[in-house]
Amino acid sequence: MSEILLCKQSLSASALEHQCGITIDQVSALGCANPSMLAANTPYSIDPEGSGLDHSILSQLSPMPVARELTSLTLSFGDDNVVALAEMTAKLNEYNLGLLGAATSVYAGRVGNFAGAVKEYQSALMGYREAVTAKSSLQSAAKQKAFRAFEKMQSQFRNELNALTAQAKARRGVALTNPERATNIARSSRSVAKLNVTGQVQANQLVRLSKHAKFLGNGLAVIDFGSRIGNVHNSYKAGGNWERDLFIESSSFAASAVAGTMAVNAGAAALTFLMVATPVGWVGLIVGGVAVAGVAAATSMGVNQVVKEDAGGIYDSVMQLVSSW
Amino acid sequence: MVTDRAALVGILILAVLIVCILYVAFGQITVRKLRKNPQTKGFLGSEYMSGWDIINVAQALAFPRSWSKKIERSPLASMHANASVLREHTTGFDRALGATFYWLLMFSGLFGALLALFNALGAFSV
Repeated sequence: MSEILLCKQSLSASALEHQCGITIDQVSALGCANPSMLAANTPYSIDPEGSGLDHSILSQLSPMPVARELTSLTLSFGDDNVVALAEMTAKLNEYNLGLLGAATSVYAGRVGNFAGAVKEYQSALMGYREAVTAKSSLQSAAKQKAFRAFEKMQSQFRNELNALTAQAKARRGVALTNPERATNIARSSRSVAKLNVTGQVQANQLVRLSKHAKFLGNGLAVIDFGSRIGNVHNSYKAGGNWERDLFIESSSFAASAVAGTMAVNAGAAALTFLMVATPVGWVGLIVGGVAVAGVAAATSMGVNQVVKEDAGGIYDSVMQLVSSW
Repeated sequence: MVTDRAALVGILILAVLIVCILYVAFGQITVRKLRKNPQTKGFLGSEYMSGWDIINVAQALAFPRSWSKKIERSPLASMHANASVLREHTTGFDRALGATFYWLLMFSGLFGALLALFNALGAFSV
């Protein structure tokens, strides 16, 4: 296991020892084995030797946007929760392989909303943190806001939260289930956080979480190829024809995504027209929505299968055509 | 040996590739502009997932006006992008790009769906 140290502001060696009881000799950063002070938003490993595992984890977490987001996530949620949250997000991504690919748009939307609710809770906590640090008179309002965001998240996404907190082995309760604990974490004047990262996979999940949190705000199209990339990578490692596999995976992904999108969009438009023409109630709407999602999923899975079966042959004939020129 | 189905799948892959390029282009050229504009920001429809507003906008620009009017009268109007507002803030090029993207998306999606359906019904089995 690696212990990663993150801080919000630059810290001198004496301040570090005072706040955390760690001497500066114990920490090392990427490309700097013996720092004289800690820079803000930079991951440090607490291990004077700088073992190989630590080094690769640090290099994953070091890019500035990742490290900055990770520091603020850790400071507002607490270390245990960030790791748990990263695992959860990775798991949710697996549930709907490639989001669009399965066109389970209902669940994809839910994952997005869940991440959004968590993000809202986080920003409310950050707002409270700022109010406390600035000794602003709006402290209690900010605290109320955090509690409201928590209630919203809790009432809408109970199942997701339960799955998430079952994994978090927090000693003192979890910020995601207990707003009191969360506001306490946010209020405490800590500017340093320690993260326990058990391995490469977890580091990778943390990177994805911090990127995800950022992307959601921008509303960018995040397409997760999930297991498809895994297939290509396996073939590459096994010395197989990975370019061919890449072609198969990406073309079937794109085709099934387009088919699923078409079905969802046409279905939504049809429902909308139906609402004008006939007095369909909310029950009808829900039934219709489920039907649309079902048709979309079936469509994209069918297209995925057909394209997957034929894409290899198409790749071969295209390559033959190219090489015969 | 290229079978009938493989030829159709090849056409599908080509169409899908063009759709993907148009999706990114339309998103970058038109929708980015609309997302930044405070007058249109709130009218891009609901995002089932990140990036879906690109499809909402394309639909609003591609549908004939009579269809869009019908959508705007529906209680589900907020799910869709508001065509009247968006038409005021887009150029002819934006609309043409959006319509091309949207209808190509719909037809290649439909083509794929029919292909899968006929395949499931055994039309391609020898």
